[in-house]
Amino acid sequence: MTLRPYLTAFGLQWKIGLRYRIAVVAGLVAQMWFGAVTLMAYASVYHAAPDVQAPLSLRQAMTYTWIQQSLFTLLPLGCLPAVGDAAKTGAIVYDLLRPVDMWHWWLSATLARLLGNAVPRAVLLACVAGPLAMLVGLGAWSLAPPADLTAAVLSLLSITLGALLSATIVMWWNILTARTLSPLGSYAVGTPLAVLLSGMLLPLPLYPDWIRPFLLAQPFAGITDIPIRIYLGTPIPGGVATGLGLQLFWLTTLTLLGRLWMRQTVNRLEVQGA
Amino acid sequence: MPETMPSPTRTLSALGLYRRMAGASIVAQLRYPGTFAIQAIGNFVTTLLGFFGIWSLFRRFGSIAGWDIGTVAVLYGLVNVAFAVAETLGRGFEVFGGEYVRTGSFDRLLLRPRSTLLLLLGHELRLRPIGRFLQGAFVLIAGLWLAPHVQWSAVLVLPLAIAGGAAMFLGVLIGQAALCFITVEGLEVVNVLTYGGVEAGQYPLTMFGRWLRRFITFVLPLAAVCYYPALFSLNHPDPLGMPTWVGSLSPLAGFAFLGVMVLIWHRAVAGYVSSGS
Repeated sequence: MTLRPYLTAFGLQWKIGLRYRIAVVAGLVAQMWFGAVTLMAYASVYHAAPDVQAPLSLRQAMTYTWIQQSLFTLLPLGCLPAVGDAAKTGAIVYDLLRPVDMWHWWLSATLARLLGNAVPRAVLLACVAGPLAMLVGLGAWSLAPPADLTAAVLSLLSITLGALLSATIVMWWNILTARTLSPLGSYAVGTPLAVLLSGMLLPLPLYPDWIRPFLLAQPFAGITDIPIRIYLGTPIPGGVATGLGLQLFWLTTLTLLGRLWMRQTVNRLEVQGA
Repeated sequence: MPETMPSPTRTLSALGLYRRMAGASIVAQLRYPGTFAIQAIGNFVTTLLGFFGIWSLFRRFGSIAGWDIGTVAVLYGLVNVAFAVAETLGRGFEVFGGEYVRTGSFDRLLLRPRSTLLLLLGHELRLRPIGRFLQGAFVLIAGLWLAPHVQWSAVLVLPLAIAGGAAMFLGVLIGQAALCFITVEGLEVVNVLTYGGVEAGQYPLTMFGRWLRRFITFVLPLAAVCYYPALFSLNHPDPLGMPTWVGSLSPLAGFAFLGVMVLIWHRAVAGYVSSGS
């Protein structure tokens, strides 16, 4: 087995992600706006109830929000656009004919697409929300540095696993798209799930206490929530090892089951178009 | 279609024309009932989850910065219902850059002896936002039920607020389309005013910093169509000191905003240079 075709698929989608520079700036403005609205809401909620012992301090909640906003495009919101087009036009047969492992072929393209979109945005927003905000005197609203050096290294490892996990979930959306011959269903299902369960809507630690163990154990928490908790140094039941363990567990499980589902789908795939 | 076809020589009134375009659009969307159902349900669930987030904050902190859940629910319901109406009507403006300006097919609209605004309204009567609409209406009614001092005049003011809010969001979409004459492709930055407006409108105005309060009061009249009418309907004094009666008239600002955007649209159309061949 050679790696070259997968690297090519990765390189192509990575470049597509980097091409739209204006979209990156537009996205930055939108994320700053949503970040600002959310931060002001949290600030007034926290200040109005100073006695409540929340699992996150206000500063941590703000940092959580900034990191979530900057990683928005890393979330598995729907299928890979290229797979959606291929399913609609019937061009999916070309993918079936390639002498490559289709799972790895799509996975490398998906991962590159997610990273190509997310990395420039994340770096840019981190610079604006971190050092730049400090310089202009908005230190209290800015992105806090990681808890310590260990937290920084471990969260970097964790976010790498998170990106892989997100790409694996997008693979499930890709298979769903190939099955239903339309990308719309994957977006209709994927976006609400990803936005709620990853902690984009509200940091997962702030949900009611009875539901928090379930929220930590589900696969979407491994994308951004667990890396952010490690970054902030907030306690995870069982420590950092639980967090990384959960990520590895979901990565393995979703890959094995996903490959099985893909084989079954490909075997009975009906292709649209001539 | 069951209705009798008018003879080709008869000219349709503007309303009649719009009705037929809207009818055709609805029939087209219902051709794929499965897709429609999934999208509408997805829309309902996504927006309902948004309220679940606010509710969770409420559970943990007891109140949202001193506001009771009823008031927050009314704000949330108002802004979502208004935006859903604008989303339903204004799809043509949303896709204007990509589908009309870039392709040059706006030239064809200009050849027709009808207002371009009417033709673009008729581009699609989108059914999908019904999910957001129902969910917003549900939260709005729940909020009115929970809030302690609901006024009877709310029956008049809330529909006015929804109409004003829908007019304001439609104005944003028209302004966004007018901007496409310069940028050709639609710019996602405008989402700050649509989706971002919904996000900001669902919290009480007092929660925001002064620059944001000024922006959503005087630039985009979001507070006028959402916050003040809600205070009036619930007989809740404004912590910022605005007299309560303001809320009964302020939704008119939404229509004024729409009017300004229509004027800008006409100016922009007058200066239009085709990009097509």
